[in-house]
Amino acid sequence: MIASFSGSSRARRALLVGLLLIVAVSAVGCSGSYKLRPNYFWDSLLKPSPAIINGLWLTIVISIVAQVIGVVLGVFAAIGKMAKYGPFRWAANIYIWIFRGTPLLVQLAFFFYGFQSAGIVKWPGLVVGPIDILPEILAGIVILGVNEGAYMAEIVRAGIISVDPGQTEAAKSLGMTYGQTMRRIVLPQAARVIIPPLGNEFNNMLKTTSLLSILSIFELYNTFSNLSGSTYASFEFLGACAIWYLMLTTVWSFFQGWIERRLAKGTQQSSGGNSGPRSPGFAQRLMALRAPIEQ
Amino acid sequence: MTTQISHNLLGAIGGVPRPETDVVVDARDVNKFFGRLHVLKDVCLQVKRQETVVIIGPSGSGKTTFIRCVNHLEKIQSGRIFVNGHLIGYREARGGAKLVEDRERNIARQRQEIGMVFQRFNLFPHMTALDNIIEAPVHVRGMSHDEAVVMGRALLDRVGLAAKEGVYPTQLSGGQQQRIAIARALAMKPALMLFDEPTSALDPEMIGEVLEVMKELAHEGMTMIVVSHEMGFAREVANRVVMMDEGMVIEEGTPDQIFGAPTQDRTKAFLSKIL
Repeated sequence: MIASFSGSSRARRALLVGLLLIVAVSAVGCSGSYKLRPNYFWDSLLKPSPAIINGLWLTIVISIVAQVIGVVLGVFAAIGKMAKYGPFRWAANIYIWIFRGTPLLVQLAFFFYGFQSAGIVKWPGLVVGPIDILPEILAGIVILGVNEGAYMAEIVRAGIISVDPGQTEAAKSLGMTYGQTMRRIVLPQAARVIIPPLGNEFNNMLKTTSLLSILSIFELYNTFSNLSGSTYASFEFLGACAIWYLMLTTVWSFFQGWIERRLAKGTQQSSGGNSGPRSPGFAQRLMALRAPIEQ
Repeated sequence: MTTQISHNLLGAIGGVPRPETDVVVDARDVNKFFGRLHVLKDVCLQVKRQETVVIIGPSGSGKTTFIRCVNHLEKIQSGRIFVNGHLIGYREARGGAKLVEDRERNIARQRQEIGMVFQRFNLFPHMTALDNIIEAPVHVRGMSHDEAVVMGRALLDRVGLAAKEGVYPTQLSGGQQQRIAIARALAMKPALMLFDEPTSALDPEMIGEVLEVMKELAHEGMTMIVVSHEMGFAREVANRVVMMDEGMVIEEGTPDQIFGAPTQDRTKAFLSKIL
């Protein structure tokens, strides 16, 4: 109940910010030298051009793919960081150290332009079915994903540590290998701890894709930046751009809230006594987790 | 609450698993240290096929540590532990002079033959009772899912929990969880079962149902090592009782010998406190 209330208050906040922006737009319209063209603002929100739609999709798709790469790399880096074997640990630590210790903007520029001009890697394009992925987009996704992996590593590690060591022992005593133990026993339980911060990471990812403009990728920000450059209507277009991002993150935060509420429900159910067999939902499977000792 | 523990528990897994050797567990001069603390001192123990050995002793005596060494959840610093004639956890190097830890894959294979039941059950909370039981047979033994389900249901039935197959561990009582944990270990058809204080985390009214399952297993000929404070169980079920203190086996014998006429002062002192 509390969660749904905060959800609607979030919506109200978003609405408020939107209204303020609109007020600002009209206010600037009244002031002297800048000739405001409100149509640019309204049209790019209400009747977005194909270029804007395209930028929007690119932002969404790049965010999702990069986040997936980040999660996968994060799992490997977390496991590497906790490995008994030194070189795995060192490799994971160096990876995390470098990608968390340098600005993403520099990473993007260095691994794309830097590598290209030194002739180390010429990023290839990629054709996936009907979709033609440009070299810079591929590079952008990969670099974003690799960067994200370094941040996910700590989140995943915290998740793994949160799982009762007795679980690992039980799995081992049944003859499971380390890999099986991780995949089948530890990681599914670690997910409970990983998912909430993962949602925040994705919120960040949606906004961080705007940095890809330096690779000349026409995602949301670069599309608007380009529009504002060609019309000199920076205020209108960039304001509209901000509102598009706000809509993306708002939709996502609703979705995230919904996921987290479902997860919370799963843990509450565990207090119920010996109810008969029930058909388990996703959350139940993931979340029916409490120290088995407490009765 | 009445608990239906069925006879023919091992029938659910196709009869008594046959150990390959007459002596199923053969521990020789096992030494273990936690840092500087010497927790196992030249421990020797043999367990024969179909024998039930109960290890007793004050807390901190090394009982639990010892059975955890038997399936290599703990490393040892010297000595040898053989299960089914195979050296557990290590291979010998330099003509037997040195122990080198075995590869993880080999250790995992050895553990398939050794069932373990924990004090805190350690059921997988993200899986139903049935899924807990069939997890290892399917993903470790490579048994087909359908076959595993048939076996898993039979096991659940024999431990009196047929109605709970779709229930998650958090919705079960401690006694029910422990019975499922026993079924889970049995599903791997182990040659040996280890019980690490299986009733110590249970409310008193649930101890009986778990001991009942263990008793039934022992009668059907499972080879077992049980670390327990349940003296009644030891007296009734054990073929042999082993008394440990300060990391050493200080006395062993039949229940009658140990409980009736202990020879060691420390055994007498311990028993007088606990009985």
